Amino acid sequence: MATPGQLMFARGLGPTARLLIWLLIGLGFAVFDSRYHALDGLRSGFSLLLQPVREIMRAPSDVAAELGGFFTRHRLLQKERDTLLAERARLMVNVNAARELRRENAELRSLLQLQTRPGQQVVHAAQLYRGHDWFSQRITLDQGGRAGLRSGLPVVDAVGLVGQVGRVYPASSEVTLISSPEQLTPVLIERTGQRGLAAGSGQNLLELRYMPAQTDIRPGDRLLTSGIDRVYPAGIPVARVTRVSRSQSGPYLRVECMPLAGLDRSRAVLVLIAEPQVTTQ
Amino acid sequence: MNTPTQQFGSWRHILGSLTLAVLLEQLPWAGWALALRPDFVLVGVLFWTLHQPARIGFATAFFLGLLADFQDGAVFGQHAIAYVIGVYLVLFLRLRLLQFDPFRQAAQLFPILLGVQLVVLLVGWLAVNPPAGLAMLLPVLGSTVLWYLVAGFLRLLHGKGLQDRA
Repeated sequence: MATPGQLMFARGLGPTARLLIWLLIGLGFAVFDSRYHALDGLRSGFSLLLQPVREIMRAPSDVAAELGGFFTRHRLLQKERDTLLAERARLMVNVNAARELRRENAELRSLLQLQTRPGQQVVHAAQLYRGHDWFSQRITLDQGGRAGLRSGLPVVDAVGLVGQVGRVYPASSEVTLISSPEQLTPVLIERTGQRGLAAGSGQNLLELRYMPAQTDIRPGDRLLTSGIDRVYPAGIPVARVTRVSRSQSGPYLRVECMPLAGLDRSRAVLVLIAEPQVTTQ
Repeated sequence: MNTPTQQFGSWRHILGSLTLAVLLEQLPWAGWALALRPDFVLVGVLFWTLHQPARIGFATAFFLGLLADFQDGAVFGQHAIAYVIGVYLVLFLRLRLLQFDPFRQAAQLFPILLGVQLVVLLVGWLAVNPPAGLAMLLPVLGSTVLWYLVAGFLRLLHGKGLQDRA
């Protein structure tokens, strides 16, 4: 009996011809997608299709985490509670001080006739899926256009800047991490106030670019967003300098930094939605 | 040679296994598991191309490749082109591959899977960025092991030993 795969006489096109046809189609897809962004509809189709599946598939690990938490020892929880209470008391003092400072700041700004900083609105989101990060590092969040997200918004976690919203679908969105190659973040050195440009290098590291050789910078310095690009609000912690070395060939320092935010750890993040900037000129 | 075409290879099996492969890729993988994660969908497609070439071939590979492109947030066509080339290589070597026991089959699949991944790398390089390191070749190992496990499991299921007796 002949198996369906083995034809006695060739009918239709041979595999090589079919390969070439499909290669041409694939090339067409790649060109239309990367040059003209003509396939965003297909992308949202896939996202509609896969969104519920991803939420369901997240359940097993959630259950595992839940079970793990269930067996945490009682004493451990009590200890944690005590530390949290102490920390809360300490933070409340800071909040009061910050409130006072904000009032004072607003007054000074109005005295100096500076533009007031835009208000912030936040959207809580959780990491839904993480793809292979070979070409750019991305995570997928479980909030999208319906929650008011749009392309370009900054994403932070409790410690620092995580990245920037890229593609937005109705119920999910992709975030390009700050450590992604070619992702630029305008920063300033907290200790000296000097501004610079942090670029992702892949492999979970950042690189501070174009720092002249005589710059005052040393390992341990913190980098904050400078707010100069009107994308990221000023003052979000970004990274800590880990290594400074002088390159033999170029006029600039080689500065390596480690992102502060848990780029590959934190599950829960915040998306900052700034009010549209009013230019008064 | 009596291939077990009659027992397995119905549409139900094919669709079920491919759906399972897509589902497995939706799990929130992270860390080392993500770096080594076998390409379930690619292994599924190549497996069925080997055993049911009349049913699964270029079109399925292309569509699932587009899905994989969406998953990685890559340019459309990157995985699709690579999967199609993988299917071609399997069709080209099909009669040869069918003669081997699972271990040798997996060993022969390794260069094919490697070739597919290199095409992904090349297209991504041309279309987007240079890749960050060669860590992207790690899933090839995972996929090869997965192939060995699947092929071996099916052999045992059909009551044959894991190795060919000379």
